[in-house]
Amino acid sequence: MTVYFSQQLQANSLPMIRLDEMVKKVLSLKKRHRIAVAWAQDANTVGAINKAVTDGLAEAIMVGSSAEIVKTCKNSGIDPGLFRIVDSENEITASAEAVRLVRSDEADILMKGLVGTDKFLKAVMDKNNGLMLPGAVLSYVCALDIPSYHKLLFITDPAVIPFPSLEQKIAMARYAIEMAGRFGIDQPRLALIGASEKMSPHFESSFEYATMCKMALRGEFNNCIMDGPLDVFLACDKKSIEIKGVKTPVDGDADILLFPSLESSNPFYKGLMLFAGAELAGLIRGTVKPVVVMSRSESEKSKYYCIALACLMS
Amino acid sequence: MVLRSMSDLKGIVAGKPRKKLVLAAAQDQQSLGAVLRAWNDNIIEPVLIGDNDRIQTICAENGYNISGLRIIHEPDTDKAVEMAIKMLSAKQADVLMKGKVGTSMLLKSVLNKEWGLRTGNLLSHIALFEVETYHKLIAVTDVAMNIAPTLKEKIAILNNSVSFLCKLGYVMPKVAVLGAVEMVNENMEATLDAALLSKMNQRDQIKNCIIDGPLAFDNAISLESARQKGIRSEVAGDTDLLLMPDIEVGNVLYKSLVFFAKAKVASIILGALVPIVLTSRSDSEQAKYDSILLSAAAS
Repeated sequence: MTVYFSQQLQANSLPMIRLDEMVKKVLSLKKRHRIAVAWAQDANTVGAINKAVTDGLAEAIMVGSSAEIVKTCKNSGIDPGLFRIVDSENEITASAEAVRLVRSDEADILMKGLVGTDKFLKAVMDKNNGLMLPGAVLSYVCALDIPSYHKLLFITDPAVIPFPSLEQKIAMARYAIEMAGRFGIDQPRLALIGASEKMSPHFESSFEYATMCKMALRGEFNNCIMDGPLDVFLACDKKSIEIKGVKTPVDGDADILLFPSLESSNPFYKGLMLFAGAELAGLIRGTVKPVVVMSRSESEKSKYYCIALACLMS
Repeated sequence: MVLRSMSDLKGIVAGKPRKKLVLAAAQDQQSLGAVLRAWNDNIIEPVLIGDNDRIQTICAENGYNISGLRIIHEPDTDKAVEMAIKMLSAKQADVLMKGKVGTSMLLKSVLNKEWGLRTGNLLSHIALFEVETYHKLIAVTDVAMNIAPTLKEKIAILNNSVSFLCKLGYVMPKVAVLGAVEMVNENMEATLDAALLSKMNQRDQIKNCIIDGPLAFDNAISLESARQKGIRSEVAGDTDLLLMPDIEVGNVLYKSLVFFAKAKVASIILGALVPIVLTSRSDSEQAKYDSILLSAAAS
């Protein structure tokens, strides 16, 4: 087949296939990214930030009740002197202040502390003082490091958009493609996930997927190889393709899975973390600067990966 | 195999036993003229059903020789149509052609539940054009029957058309689903349907053809234009069949090909038990003749 349109290929080195490689890459940048943390007074957050700071990855501005922050640090055996502390009254003011620090370029990365995700994102999405790119869709992409898969698997959106519209799915795909690019994957294979590979009026997503595939063929997703609907087997397992005889350019070698809903993507990654020993690095997308939101139940490792990812994407 | 000109259809017909064409309400000068010419050229064997007196008068006035031709006298139009259709449903003939009878009346009879020619498929119209500026014949559907087909109807129209092309000898005909642009645009439903149809084709839910769309008219028929736009497509520039978004686009394209591009055209109705030649009065006698030729080739 002749490829008529020219693509600007990034001159990247080999793609990273494990999250540890990503950490190495970020460390090799020898740049301390400045992270503003909103309501940074729980042991979880402080612990994760401390590791990033001591590793030379970041420097931190902790926004919150300074008394609480100092207390939490001491309880965790961490020197509060490692951080710049900005006193703030409550989680809402702390979120606004942390966002302000990023907006005013005093920080490179925003991170959520003990504040509720809703309140935190409200500050991020504030029309006048927030961090959104104009007109952008707020979404979430995460890179999964699954020991039994031969490379990283990016998934979207397991955290923010419950039932993405076509427009939102398009944005999600673009975010994931962009992120994969930062990992050195120049021509990512993106599978649009459904319960089956067939087009069916019972699944609206299958119709949206057809639209997106055509957009991809017409070059609207850059260099991405996109196909869907595909089930997870067809997306990630060559054997299943042979058995089913489905012709798909993703070829059982997906880099990215785009899910039709949060209810499908969220259990997918949690299942992998719980039962398959997967780790993740995830990030909010659609903002002018990286925004880190992680759940308290994530492993120490994954928390660290999230911060490293924010540095990579910064 | 692809067809390059209308005369290629003659080759197909020559290789088959001569088909029987029933002209319903045959007292129509234009239809008779085309049918008799096709008969003289050994393309079909006509059966005329209609008002014998008027048939005789028309033939005498126009100097048509009808000696040896089977004529069934039935002056009542409704009855003539019914008789013609029953003859076809009893497999005593191969092609139905409309004479001096309204289109809606004829189609109503075709769809009659007891003795009609229903197959369960949607009826659709297909037109085959010979245009000097294109390297082969190009089929266009639907320019005359289905007004604003839904996705489901478009699938039915495609299935009709593809199996028709396969009957003519095509293997994996290239289908372009037409839009105003080659990009998917949420505000243009035709482009969304086009993307869906392409995907269904890729997943083997529409078989025996290669579908791409949306393609704008220029990308569909001109490789140069597709190249300029950077379109990667097996279909672009080499389309065998154009699927229209609706009848307005289809009808205007049909007429501009005929009037501006001086295209030769043959058209039939698909989806019934037999091909139906249903030309309009404004079609030239040549178009009627070519339509008869097409029906014989496809039956």
